Amino acid sequence: MSAAATAQGPAQSPRGTTFTAATLLVPILLINAIGFMLPVANLAVISVSEIRSSGAMTGGWSIAKWTTVATDPFYWELLANTVRTSLIVTILTLIVSYPIALCLHRMNGAWKSILLVLVISPLLLSSVVRTYGWIAILSDRGLVNSALAALGAQEPFRLMFNLTGVMIGLTEILMPYMILALLAGFGRLDPRVEEAAATLGAPPYRVFWRVVLPLSLPGVALGSLLTFVLAISSFITPKLLGGGRVFLLATEVYDQAIVTLDWPLAATLSIIVLVVFGLALAVYTRILRQIG
Amino acid sequence: MKRRTFVAATTSLIVAPWINRASAQQPVTINVMAYTGLFQDRYTAAVVEPFMRANPGIRVNYSPLPNSAAMIGQLRAQRAAPQVDVVILDVTVAKVGTDEGIFSRLDAAAIPEINELYPNARFPNVGGVAVTFDNLVMIYNTDAVKPPPTSLLDMATPGMRGRVAIPGLPDIQGMSLVMILDKLNGGPGVEGRFAKGIEAMAPIAPNVQTWEPRPDVYAPIINGQAAIGIGWNARAQVNADTSNGKLAALIPKEGTVFQINVINQVQGAPQAQAAQRFISYALSAPAQKAFTESMFYAPTNAKAQIAPSAIDRTAVKFLDRVVPVDWIAVAGVRDQIMDQWRRRVIPLSR
Repeated sequence: MSAAATAQGPAQSPRGTTFTAATLLVPILLINAIGFMLPVANLAVISVSEIRSSGAMTGGWSIAKWTTVATDPFYWELLANTVRTSLIVTILTLIVSYPIALCLHRMNGAWKSILLVLVISPLLLSSVVRTYGWIAILSDRGLVNSALAALGAQEPFRLMFNLTGVMIGLTEILMPYMILALLAGFGRLDPRVEEAAATLGAPPYRVFWRVVLPLSLPGVALGSLLTFVLAISSFITPKLLGGGRVFLLATEVYDQAIVTLDWPLAATLSIIVLVVFGLALAVYTRILRQIG
Repeated sequence: MKRRTFVAATTSLIVAPWINRASAQQPVTINVMAYTGLFQDRYTAAVVEPFMRANPGIRVNYSPLPNSAAMIGQLRAQRAAPQVDVVILDVTVAKVGTDEGIFSRLDAAAIPEINELYPNARFPNVGGVAVTFDNLVMIYNTDAVKPPPTSLLDMATPGMRGRVAIPGLPDIQGMSLVMILDKLNGGPGVEGRFAKGIEAMAPIAPNVQTWEPRPDVYAPIINGQAAIGIGWNARAQVNADTSNGKLAALIPKEGTVFQINVINQVQGAPQAQAAQRFISYALSAPAQKAFTESMFYAPTNAKAQIAPSAIDRTAVKFLDRVVPVDWIAVAGVRDQIMDQWRRRVIPLSR
């Protein structure tokens, strides 16, 4: 065989490349179809199933639940509450996580590893356990209110069984995800660029504002997307710390599916959550394109 | 063809004795699905284990789930090939299962104990029959609430601000509270969508610390996080014992309502005959007596002779205070009550 023939041998025609790519995609397409598309299709079918007032599913079809969700102001309020709460939690998580992630990024040696493990370690615990921990801290006779009482507070502050409690709990629970996403994004930060800015006379706050922050924006966008999506689908923490006063889409899906047995309504609301996910992903893609 | 038939017949004649012997030695296993936690522990000790001792050929596998809705969810998923034989769940969910054809109708000819049950243990449109009666009680922390409460309106006093724990709607404990208050205020009940009861929640709602006490309503009252609330009698009585009296329970002067658990046989149950034997035993006077004396659910079998120390801790002595409730009818208007609850009760507690 000649050298030219050997050089041309491994090269594939465009048709062959397409075929190889399609073959390589088959496993993930199959997994996606079985693990995601089929359950979503099933959800769509359940959402248009007929249900009696007792909760029995009769086998008929009805768009009653979609009509109810579209026309009842409660569900619009529920959607607005959910998006607003998730956005606030995302912003709070970003604010508290960013300095920690930046600090970790700049550290070296054993301390970096130790602190990284400390940051990730909450993920080893169930969110139920962590939420119960917050109940011990935030209750009327918990750590915070006891400290405030020692400082002279007459009445305990209501820090849980309301929206405040839900936001505190979700922020802490979602911090590890945000920190890990930010750390991944900080890979673009080149210390020499910061040094150059400082050499040219930029004070530290300007270096941060004009150099560090813009370069870390992809990480911020990724962390925010991840946190927003996790916040919007959280139901354990809002259930435990909301005290039945905080109505969110995920808690409503849980109540309808597990307590009142209204599966069509639960399926309808689940599809709405999926649509919100899709919108969040679209916004993220747009932001990334603008940053890029 | 004839040869084939001959071979098959001969083979079955030869093999049959071994098969019969093997099946006689092999115990049949039935799957009984019911509540997890305290119910599982007490029911296993009082009913399941004695049943297995009395029926060595039948093994009972207890499949615990946290609530009735989770049970019906699993049964819906298994509809094509049922794995569960017997299910104990709330009467409203039993009605759903009957309507969907998941449960078969129990027959008094096959289960004669059905004839021994109180009349209110049988329901025209439900396949199963009542296996336990429970009732709503007020529960309180004995250190924090002195003197002991007597009325539901004791939860509305200024001293109870932020110290009340009520499992709110859609939980049926909250629903039961609304129904009692509706009756107290002259409401027509289901026809009036319990509007008077919703209205009567106004003085209580601002005092409520949580509408979703976790892991249940008893724990926060025992540990002092809350002082007073409502719960189910059976669990309250057991918690009163296990907390060394930190928690106490009583039937308020406004009355109580019954919660009913129904025992059902799954349509197409893999071990139908053994399942019927278990149901028969669960409804029998000895099993009813054992479970009532263990967990203070009121018995559904009229012939069960319960020790006075146990029967006094059920609603049996307070039947005059029981507000009659048609749970099946209530399930039909639950969405409308829930709607009013969210709009008129929850905002008062924010």
